[in-house]
Order: sequence, then C-alpha cells, then structure tokens
Amino acid sequence: MIEKTGVPTKEDIEEITPPKEIREKQAVAVIECYKEIPCNPCYTACKFGAIKEFEDINDRPEIIYEKCVACGQCVIKCPGLAIFIIDETYSETEATVQIPYEYLPLPKEGDYVTALDRAGRPVCRAKVVKVRKGKHPNMTSTVTMAVPKEHSMTVRSLNLEDYFADNTIICRCEGITLGEIRQLISEGYTTIDEIKRISRAGMGPCQGRTCRHLIMQEIRNATGQNMEDMLMPTFRQPTKPVKLGLFVGGEGDD
Amino acid sequence: MTKTASVVIIGGGISGCAIAYNLAKKGVKDVVVVERSYLTSGATGRCGAGIRTQWGTERNCKLAKFSVDFFENANEILGYKRDIEFKQGGYLIVAATEKEVEQFKKNVELQNSLGIPSKYLSPQEAKEIVPHLDETKILGATFCELDGHLNPFHTTEAFAQAAERLGVEIMTFTEVVGIDVEGDKIKGVHTTKGYISTPIVVNAAGGYCRQIGDMVNVDIPTYSERHQILVTEPVEPMQEPMVMGFSLNIYTQQVPHGSFLIGRGDPTEPKDLRITSSWQFMEKMAKTACDLLPALGKLAVVRQWAGLYNMTADAQPIYGPVKEVEGFYLAVGFSGHGFMLGPATGQIMAEIILGEPTTIDVSDLDKDRFARGELVLEPSVV
Repeated sequence: MIEKTGVPTKEDIEEITPPKEIREKQAVAVIECYKEIPCNPCYTACKFGAIKEFEDINDRPEIIYEKCVACGQCVIKCPGLAIFIIDETYSETEATVQIPYEYLPLPKEGDYVTALDRAGRPVCRAKVVKVRKGKHPNMTSTVTMAVPKEHSMTVRSLNLEDYFADNTIICRCEGITLGEIRQLISEGYTTIDEIKRISRAGMGPCQGRTCRHLIMQEIRNATGQNMEDMLMPTFRQPTKPVKLGLFVGGEGDD
Repeated sequence: MTKTASVVIIGGGISGCAIAYNLAKKGVKDVVVVERSYLTSGATGRCGAGIRTQWGTERNCKLAKFSVDFFENANEILGYKRDIEFKQGGYLIVAATEKEVEQFKKNVELQNSLGIPSKYLSPQEAKEIVPHLDETKILGATFCELDGHLNPFHTTEAFAQAAERLGVEIMTFTEVVGIDVEGDKIKGVHTTKGYISTPIVVNAAGGYCRQIGDMVNVDIPTYSERHQILVTEPVEPMQEPMVMGFSLNIYTQQVPHGSFLIGRGDPTEPKDLRITSSWQFMEKMAKTACDLLPALGKLAVVRQWAGLYNMTADAQPIYGPVKEVEGFYLAVGFSGHGFMLGPATGQIMAEIILGEPTTIDVSDLDKDRFARGELVLEPSVV
C-alpha cells in the first residue's frame, strides 16, 4: 500500500509505535522507516547507541528506547525525513511532536498552526513550542508542536495557516465560527441537531454540507464520541434552493 | 439504576419544559423530564412558532393572552442568556369567504371584550400593512399588534435551563418504555436509562401521547396528523406580521433572521405518525403563497419539513387528570397550538397537579368532554 500512496497503513504504524510504558515515561524517537533501503545515517548520528548497528546496509533501523535521550540528532540527519520525536510527558493533556521541516518560512515559537497527519489532512490546532533552525541554510530544521495527547502518533506535518482558530467560519451560510460551536459544545450541546437549532449552523441554503462534518469533528474532539455513532440530521428537499414561483410554473429565472 | 421522583413529565417540548419550570418554581422537588431524543425534537422544534391572541373562543383568547404577556418578558423572567427572539409584528388574518367575514367580525368583538386590541380591516387597509398582499384575493382581514413569532428552540431552552437551575432533572435521549400502575395508581416509569419511581406522570408527549396513554390503558381521544412547512432563503425585511388565512389555507411569517416560513394544512392527510415531506405539499403551498403574496414567488425555498399536530375534535387542548388512573395527567391535543400556549400550559398544569385554583378555568377541557359530547368548537384554525 505504501508503495502506491506514500502513506503507511494502520498496521505499518502499529509496528513502529513505541510501547505505551515507554511513551508514558520519556520522550522518544519514532523511526518511520518502512522500507529496506541502503541507508544508515541515523545509526551514525546517534551518540548514545540507541540505534542498533546495521548488519546489512539495507536493514531497517531498530531503536533501543531505553537508551534514547530524544536529542533529535537522528531527526535532522535522516535524509528521508522519517524520524520524529514524540513526548507524551509534556503535560497532562498534551504531547509534543518534533518534526523535520525543510520549508521556508519557518513558523515562529508561540504561533498556532494546523497539525496535519501523514496524508496531509488537518488533524487539530497545534502550538509551536520550539523551532530548531538548521546550522547551515541547507540543513534540516525541526519544529516542535504541542498537540492533544491522543494525536501524538497521528500528527506528522504542519500547515502554517491556523485552520482551527476560534474565528474560522465553519458554517458559511450563517456565518457561524468555530469558536461559537466550541462554546455551545462546552455548554453541553453535544449533538449536531442541538447545535443546529441553537446556532442555525447548517440551516442555510447548503444544509450543512460543509459545516456538518466539521462540527462532528469538534464534537468528537471535545467529547470523544465516535463520528460513526453520531445522530445525523435529515437532509431535506429541495436539495438545492429553488424559487417558490418555479413550482407554479413561472417566476423562475434560473 | 433506580431513582425516585415526585413528578415525571414525558416529553421535552415546550409543554413539558414549561410544566417542569412551573412545578419547580412552586417548590416541587425531584421533578424529572424524560425526552426520547433532544429537547424540541418533536412538534415544538418543527412548528411555525407564531403566537396569536386572535381566537374565536373566549378561553383560547385568554390562554393566548396569558402566553403573550409572559413572552413579552420571558428573557428576564426565565433568566435566559440568549434571546427567545419574540417579534411582535402582529397577525394579519385574511377572510376570503363571506362566512369568514361574519365570523371574524364576531371574533374581534369577543377579543376586544377580553382586552385584546384587534381590529377589523378592509382589503385596502390590509394592503397598507402588508404591501405585497394581493388585496383582490380577500374580502377583509383582522389585525392584532400583540401577536407575533418566537424562536421555538430558544424559548424551550429558556424554560429548560430555568427549570434545571431550580433543580429539575432533564433526561434527554431517554425513552419511556413502560409505566407501572398498581391498583389504579401510578407507581413508576421504565425508561431506557433505568426505572423512576414516581406517584405522578404528566403526559406531554405531543404527537406520541396516545402511545404513552396505551402504557396505562388510557385511550386518549386525539389523533396525530402531519403538517408540512417550508422555509426560504433570508431576505431583507419586507413583511412585519404573520399573514394567515383559514379558507385560503396558509400561514406565512418572515422571521427576524430574514427567512419566510410558509405552511398549510391538508384536509386529506391520513391520521398517522408520518413526518416525511411530500412534493404535493410544495406544489400546493407554492400556488397558495404566490396567489396571495406574489412577491414570495421570487424567493428560493431552502428546505421543507413536517411535524405532527395532535388533534382533538374541538381543536382545544386536553388539560388535567384522568379518572381511570390516579396520578396520570394530560397536557395533550393542542391541535397545532401547543407552542404558543406553552406558558399557559405550564402555569395551569402545575396548578392542577398541586390542587390549586387555576389562573384560567380549564375544568371543562378534560378528556371525557368528548364522550359527554360537550365540545366548544374553535372556528379559527389552519
């Protein structure tokens, strides 16, 4: 699968995920090197012997978590940008994810950005807590983001646009912002129908085609509900706005 | 999980929430509202949400006047932090038959005698209030400035939150699956989230009230029928009052948000619990609306939906206890007017349950009036 999409499967990721006991205790490198290729800079970069010596140059790296001090040397040395540092001990609710970043401009510490998953899909809002600039202009920089703990093994990239800011409009028909939706969820309106009826989000001409999914994501983020289990409002006819006069055979101009 | 309540109210619409609020305000502890889905998921959240004082029977006038007076200050009384969006743009009720002209003149006389400032208008005078009205389609009209429209979601929320602050427990997504009766007395309610031991059950289940009645073997003389409605895109304010016609079969209101709500009844509608939308409604509704108010033809319909009227033979509600089962109370059969009567329903039902004299006499609105044949027919209903 990864050959076709460039995106590892759930099984691929499970294989490289550090054990829970380790993640609860320390920051560690996560090596997402899924294919056998002739490459070993991670091994030579590690001064702590946390990456086992390669028997064959084509071997996939093997990490000894107990020896890893999360210094990040392997992150900047890996030519495939395949190594990340995750730290689930960062706070009660948040973890940090340090990623190699080779674009310009670099974000600034304190910025809010949009954290992306391995396929480039927005996951959540992230705060940039550290930017480590490459020593030379052509060397890899790293960016460390704080994200909700459950996304530590999901977030692997970022977009500088802060999609998940409170002022982002998510119901375009009625001009309802993400902040307003978050406020309603925090007050206990945790179904799409209730949010729709109180805020009008989803009542406009598009009937929620854009905002419904985004509201569901927010409900999931806030309550942990599965999106598949959420009660869905009914899509109503007509599926697109139609002039009333058209139903009596006149007045319509489109 | 078993719990104990002093009153269990079945139905989280305007009636159930208003009854709960009034009971708690009178000091009743351990009131529980059980709603099978979310609040306003039934008829309350599907209705046109207009309120009018222009009725044809004295009691409906009084119930509606009581409710208007309440709504005027409801945000403050209920301490609601949002807005129930009460807009008093009036109701313009149009007469299209000689019989209606005659009835409306009588209605205005009755309404004026009860302190309701309605007036009878010529077609030309009606057009001055609603300029896009085709006055050639009507013979006359009545108008009352007290009447108006609210946001049914916020209004119900306002009651529910005020009730919760007074200690009422509201259980949403909880379905009543059975009611225990022992020796003709209510004992408790079985729900999908456990048993509630209680001596009193209030049936405020709207379109589904007969199913609740069946659980205690009480046959409730109402039937449910689908009424459909549509909403247009929002536009600049162009119509202040609700425009309503009984023989023309239309009610339409521009809500503060800018959309027009347009609905009608269908005399051929079967008596059942369907709330699907039909193409036939859209065609008939468009014709009626464009005939009477041609400018509406230019507005785009965003969606249509439907809800249940719970009808009685005299189009008036059933309030009060039943003879067959002690502790079983009804607030049903609102015949399409349950939302607007909500404040009165809450007040009166709380008084009845506590054995107090009622603010408005409803003693003859009991369930058995139909069996006795003592009906006071309301003539002014869509």
